[in-house]
Amino acid sequence: MSSESSLFGHRWLPLLLVAPLMLLIVLFFYVPVFQAFYWSFFLEQPFGGGSEFVGLQNFRRVLTDPEFWAATGRTVVFMLTASSLAVIVPLMLAIAADRKIGLSYAARNILVWPKGIAGASIGVVFAFIFNPFVGLMAPLNTLFPGLWNPGIDGTDAFVTLVAAHVWSGIPFNFVILLAGLRSIPPTMYQAAAMDGAGPWRRIFDVQLPLIMPQLFLTFVLEFTESITSVFALIDTITGGGPGGSTSLLVYKIYVDGFRGFDLSGASTQTAILMVFVLLLAACQFVFLGRRLNYER
Amino acid sequence: MKISTLAACAALLGCAGSAQATNIEFWYGNTGPVETAIKAQCDAFNASQSEHKVNCVGQGSYEVSMQKAIAAYRAKNHPVLIQFFDAGTLDLMLSDAVEPVQDLMPDVKWDQYIAGARAYYETSKGKLFAQPYNSSTLLFYTNKTELEKAGITQTPTTWEEIIEAARKLKAAGHACPFVTDGDTWRVLEQFSARHGLPIATKHNGYDGLDAEYVINTTFAAKHLANLVEWRKEGLVRLAADTKAGNYTAAFNAGECAMMEQSSGSYAAAAKAFDGKYELTVNMAPMYKGYERHNTFVGGASIYVMKGHDKPEIEAAKAFLDFLRKPEQQMFFTAATGYVPVTTDVLDTIAKSPDAKSPKYATAKVGVESMNQPATADTRGIRLGFYVQFREVFMEETQKAFAGQQTMQVALDNTKKRGDQLLRRFEQTYKGKTLP
Repeated sequence: MSSESSLFGHRWLPLLLVAPLMLLIVLFFYVPVFQAFYWSFFLEQPFGGGSEFVGLQNFRRVLTDPEFWAATGRTVVFMLTASSLAVIVPLMLAIAADRKIGLSYAARNILVWPKGIAGASIGVVFAFIFNPFVGLMAPLNTLFPGLWNPGIDGTDAFVTLVAAHVWSGIPFNFVILLAGLRSIPPTMYQAAAMDGAGPWRRIFDVQLPLIMPQLFLTFVLEFTESITSVFALIDTITGGGPGGSTSLLVYKIYVDGFRGFDLSGASTQTAILMVFVLLLAACQFVFLGRRLNYER
Repeated sequence: MKISTLAACAALLGCAGSAQATNIEFWYGNTGPVETAIKAQCDAFNASQSEHKVNCVGQGSYEVSMQKAIAAYRAKNHPVLIQFFDAGTLDLMLSDAVEPVQDLMPDVKWDQYIAGARAYYETSKGKLFAQPYNSSTLLFYTNKTELEKAGITQTPTTWEEIIEAARKLKAAGHACPFVTDGDTWRVLEQFSARHGLPIATKHNGYDGLDAEYVINTTFAAKHLANLVEWRKEGLVRLAADTKAGNYTAAFNAGECAMMEQSSGSYAAAAKAFDGKYELTVNMAPMYKGYERHNTFVGGASIYVMKGHDKPEIEAAKAFLDFLRKPEQQMFFTAATGYVPVTTDVLDTIAKSPDAKSPKYATAKVGVESMNQPATADTRGIRLGFYVQFREVFMEETQKAFAGQQTMQVALDNTKKRGDQLLRRFEQTYKGKTLP
């Protein structure tokens, strides 16, 4: 405690300095979270005309609802495919940009730009890119009619969503991974090269092990982010359709709560989703985080 | 977590325009030409007198408007007037957040509203809850020019004729004879109403909260299965099958030759067709052998929210009075294609020199459609969490159109999930009875 008091003369000053931020977090995170958990034990009328305590009934209903599990399944599939790709693609780009090849300097700049684009805008653009009549796939559709149509085929819609998510995830992960790669001392490569390691060998035996902390960070963030941040993309590209094929849990919650006025059902799913995300992050730290070596 | 965060944000936004003595807010959800017309009416009202001022706030869609109203009501910052769409009628009736317009203004001649429009918004005892505003109903649009090119001179009136015409169009090389988005309102609700079919027991919920869906057993199930087959044959296209990606846009651009759509789309279609194609608008098609009943009123109505003081309520009344005026209703009809639903306005239009003008085209046919013989099942839909039911219906039927399940399985699932919604609604509003 002595080091703290040497920085701040007054005991309350540090608390006072973080108070505005804490207030915002409490107001916009903890209060709503508490409210969601609270409502999940009630049947709540939208206009607040009255609510009835129902104990665990909402949870029983949601957990036995095949639609909830279908949405959860889609969420997990999305998490595994989209998050993995959203790390692997930037990883490849970062390794390439780290090498002294032509344009790598320019690429290091350009690849960061998508960071400045909002999720909803990306959604609108990708809806055009993957449009079956005017988009990239249009030539394929003229050859094989009906091959690609995200408006009808659920798998196509899902692929579109994954592609948009991966693209939007490139800048951040690219920056983190590139920073990791740049911090590896060149002597390591030189030593490896002298020992006869080719470029691939150097990637797998030198670069990847040494950027494990960065890879871990991007994976943890991606896995948790992909569950919630996909909302903007779904809302602009597919609206959850066709046939609910892109209705991930976060979108289902929005539709149930905001379009269907089912506050209790949406709150219950929110509570479950939140516990799921927390467990996921905890698992990653327990099983992966402990094995990491941050020392070099 | 998201929900309440957004709700809190919405509530904060709501406070931004707090009301003064005679300054009231009216929230609406429309966009485009309809929004322009709504704003013009607000301006006209404010210019016509100085006692009250109504501030009309566009929320972008009915759903968003409702979300914000819920948040604002809980935070006690709600507007005095709010426009809301047909599907949310029961949610608002049981909310205890609105004052029935007929209680508020007992002296208005509410019986001037045509029965088809009244029935949807009135209690089982016949008290009108909301003032119908932008009323529409389902109509059948054709591109006469394209039909004639394929040798069809008579506008089809039955589904059998539509399919015959569609086959001719297809034979003539037309890629999109008939287009729909498969929307619940169009393919299920309005279809069931005009064919006299129930959507749920208890007369679509009018006789109690313990209703159950019957859509998987009525003739509507056959019609929906037909749509799937017709799509396979290339006669019917869905919105996603069209180049435009939106069925109204596809029809307006001439890509598709026929569509079922709200009368509210008339202005846009007429404008898009101007000088290029000839447009016809008629009552929505029937199957042969079925007696025609009324279609439901669609669109939206205006509710007066509780919890406001007397001057604010007076201002709200004055604005509602203003909107009911024949010249205002005629202006709105001419500008949007929505249908006037009071008899005095219909008389005024009939007597006016413009009676035959295309700007009133939908008024005549729309009212005619809503004035067909009614049954206890064609009054409206009084089912809880109905907005969510529409989502379920869309989700399941889209799977059927994509070939993942048969239409019958889709409708069986819809019924099952819909009934669960109804039971939960019943429990949520336990102890409340239908007004």
